[in-house]
Amino acid sequence: MIATYIFGRVLSAVPTILILTFIVFLAIHLVPGDYIDIMLGTQNYLTDEQLSGLYKQYGLDKPFVVQYGIWLKNLITFDFGTSLRTGQKVSAMILEKLPVTFELAFFALFFSLVFGIPLGITSAVKRNRFGDYVVRVLGLIGLSAPTFWIGAILIVAVSGLFQDYTLFGFVSFQKDMAKNLQILLIPSLTLGLMLAAQIMRMARSSMLDVLSQEYVKVAKAKGVSTWKVIYRHALKNAMIPVITTAGIQFGYLMGGTILIENMFALPGLGRLLLQSVNQRDYPVIQGVVLFTGVFIVLMNILVDILYTLIDPRIDLR
Amino acid sequence: MEWKRLRRKFAKNPLNLISVVVFALFLAMAFFPQIFTQFEPNRMNSAVRMISPTASHIFGTDQFGRDIYSRVVHGVRETLSIAFLSIVLACVLGTALGVISGFYGRWIDQIVMRLMDAMFAFPTIILALFIIALYGASQKNLIIALGIVYTPIFTRTVRGSTISIKQFLYIKAAKALGKRDLSIMLKDVLPNLTSVLIVSFTTNFSTAVLSEASLSFLGLGVPPPTPTLGGMVGQGSNFLLSAPWIALFPGLFIALIVLSINIIGDGLRDVLDPRY
Repeated sequence: MIATYIFGRVLSAVPTILILTFIVFLAIHLVPGDYIDIMLGTQNYLTDEQLSGLYKQYGLDKPFVVQYGIWLKNLITFDFGTSLRTGQKVSAMILEKLPVTFELAFFALFFSLVFGIPLGITSAVKRNRFGDYVVRVLGLIGLSAPTFWIGAILIVAVSGLFQDYTLFGFVSFQKDMAKNLQILLIPSLTLGLMLAAQIMRMARSSMLDVLSQEYVKVAKAKGVSTWKVIYRHALKNAMIPVITTAGIQFGYLMGGTILIENMFALPGLGRLLLQSVNQRDYPVIQGVVLFTGVFIVLMNILVDILYTLIDPRIDLR
Repeated sequence: MEWKRLRRKFAKNPLNLISVVVFALFLAMAFFPQIFTQFEPNRMNSAVRMISPTASHIFGTDQFGRDIYSRVVHGVRETLSIAFLSIVLACVLGTALGVISGFYGRWIDQIVMRLMDAMFAFPTIILALFIIALYGASQKNLIIALGIVYTPIFTRTVRGSTISIKQFLYIKAAKALGKRDLSIMLKDVLPNLTSVLIVSFTTNFSTAVLSEASLSFLGLGVPPPTPTLGGMVGQGSNFLLSAPWIALFPGLFIALIVLSINIIGDGLRDVLDPRY
């Protein structure tokens, strides 16, 4: 039963992923000019013969659909092509930068849950009282303030308060764990605060929902203390949608990391993407964008599957 | 709809009214920046480079001696117009796709919604950045890129509402009477979408402001020397330790714009959405 469900869910993502690859391929092909023009730049001293040789080499002389087919076939073997600037394999470049972005996203998610869930619950329990208003205003500010501005404020504040705190100069986790964590603390806090606002709003409304259910009222009527009701009965049910949101958001954090990585000079996927945009390195841009999209689709499937496993009320059919 | 009653309900919350006033102020800055400033936004003055806020330069000056406050006020126009026009585009495209998709169902619905699912798989900034990277940064391209990126959100919302509106008896009656599909969609379905669209428009308008600011921050917004709020934060980030005001004031303006729109949006939702 569960196996069929999982299989079906994974299968249902195939069309989405196919369309996704098509969008990326089409967008690149609609650009005026092509790879060859970009590679050669303005210094084009090649004869027509040499040019057509190059076109053949890159398969650009074939019809559009055939080109797409070949490209797709390569994608399946994780072959995203090679960088126009460094000649490195795009897949290798992505794999090299991925750990930094993952670590950043992971800690950001951690901070968002640590701040978001308790604040959201408190806000729901103290509904329409002073504490609720404070939390809600904080949440609105968190949703409204641009991530990079919060980052700028934190940089100014931290460097002002702790003069010898090292903010920049990334080192990998394997090389120097303490330094790695120290460098990543402020960036992931910045990213996490933005997400915390969303988690908090979600936790609040979900908790309010659960608190209005019959079984919570019954427990209260029996004389169980408020916090015990919340802890024993409401929390577990209220947190399911919150965790789901968090899971889905983990994928979308890849959007926020591009801002943070460039602000804090972290050598992750987002920085790679922006660098390739500035150098017009199309295969790398294409590879990173596609990777992000596919990753998010797979992430959503994973969340869906976990959700069904956790919550027995969900119908598998 | 009884507008008078809704207006009174909206005005009951003082926060809503304050936000309307604040947002109106930003609109005034966008339309008549000269009223608010005394310096040209691009005038360089080497005598006053990177000075901290003073009485004449209330937000300080940047590394070229340009007045930050004047640049911020002029930047509001760029940000608001790009965000607004892109959401108008997204709203029109998304409503058309959503109504058609919800009204006809079947394979049309399948195709449209799978396409939207695929677009949803990209974080907003990444997809917009992708389009800008391919076609170049200009005001027009930013509007198109953000318009495309925000289309799926409108399509999904409108499709959902259309499906429930389709069940209403008068739509079935109109069909039975042989009224043309296009006429039903425009005259019977569309008016019922008003409140849904108003709410989505405001919430997405605020995130579009953030998206535009983020792209500009990354250097992919309207190119310099045109002042953009996000671009000013991006460039000011290089001087955070020596001259923090260069980055912090433009960022504050972005936050205030988005905050005022968000509060107005929440207020509108409370008034228009029966579920709240």
